[in-house]
Amino acid sequence: MKLGVFLSEYRADSTILQRLSPEKLGIILVGNGVYHAAIKEKGQSSQILDLKANFYALKEDLETRGLDASKLDSRVKPLSYGDLVDLIFNEYEKLIWM
Amino acid sequence: MGTLTIGLFSALVGSMNYDFALKLAEAAVDKGHKVNLWFSSNAAGSPLKGQKHLKDYSHGETPLRKLIEKGVEVCTCEACSLARGVNKTNAIEGVQWSAMHWYLAKIHGSDRVLHIGGE
Amino acid sequence: MADVKLAFIVSKPPYKSEVPKLGATHAMAYQTVEILLEEGDTVTPVLCYVGDGVLNCLKGQKAMDIYGITSTETHLKNCLLVDLDVYVCKEDLENFGIQEDQIVDAEDMGAEKKLQVVPFETIKKTVEEAKHVLYF
Repeated sequence: MKLGVFLSEYRADSTILQRLSPEKLGIILVGNGVYHAAIKEKGQSSQILDLKANFYALKEDLETRGLDASKLDSRVKPLSYGDLVDLIFNEYEKLIWM
Repeated sequence: MGTLTIGLFSALVGSMNYDFALKLAEAAVDKGHKVNLWFSSNAAGSPLKGQKHLKDYSHGETPLRKLIEKGVEVCTCEACSLARGVNKTNAIEGVQWSAMHWYLAKIHGSDRVLHIGGE
Repeated sequence: MADVKLAFIVSKPPYKSEVPKLGATHAMAYQTVEILLEEGDTVTPVLCYVGDGVLNCLKGQKAMDIYGITSTETHLKNCLLVDLDVYVCKEDLENFGIQEDQIVDAEDMGAEKKLQVVPFETIKKTVEEAKHVLYF
């Protein structure tokens, strides 16, 4: 299963992702979810980024929050709305919004 | 080109999920995809016409009209809208009115579905 | 002619949000969707309660008596009456200490169908087999 998950919250219960354990997991950080890509708490990156997944963050939502798309955790790829459309049609067959 | 159906359950003002959904819909339609947009729950309060665009608030009417012009099919859950005081006489023209089976029927013909739950 | 399988996953507890209730009502709409589809096309939803969502399934809800709104229990009974498959995660029920006799049934309405308490593995398989997932 190729599952694309839109994570729109910073404090979110993501245990369902581990339980579903898809063969291919993409985590698309949007809304307040983009903080996972850029913020460290007590020097630690978000534990979400430790999941076995491909990570993306919406540039527009990073910039809206004063975050620099060029300074993200190296595991996260910034993308635009247009890129996002290509991603969901080409890479992930099922989508979940959290 | 594919078909994307977005189910939107969030209110127009508050979470910015609504703003996200409309921008994604526009990006998809601009790339030549077919897009369907279903409003339920608090999103069903949004097809009200005559919205004043105050800069402190998310604005739905203008982008929604633009999407409809671009061929996006927009439908609201009639019961959800009526419960929020929106009816066919005060709603944005071009928005369709139906029941939940509209959403399921559009999903049936879709390549991708993004169901954006609400508050 | 095609059947499209859908997984409806409800993960939130009831009443604080309208969303968990809408998981049930949208799944139930499969009953009338055929009027909008081509001949022979069908939609087959499976409604699954996981995590905090299993709290929707407790019986004895009095939302109508107290707040004047249809209870989630009533919506679940209606799901059973229209023969919808409704799965409740066994591990999550156990986590809350909820026994099977504490969850909704629709025997009083004559439904033969029951909520099906299943291991998460079954819900995972349902998601894998579905064409689309709707996460409430």
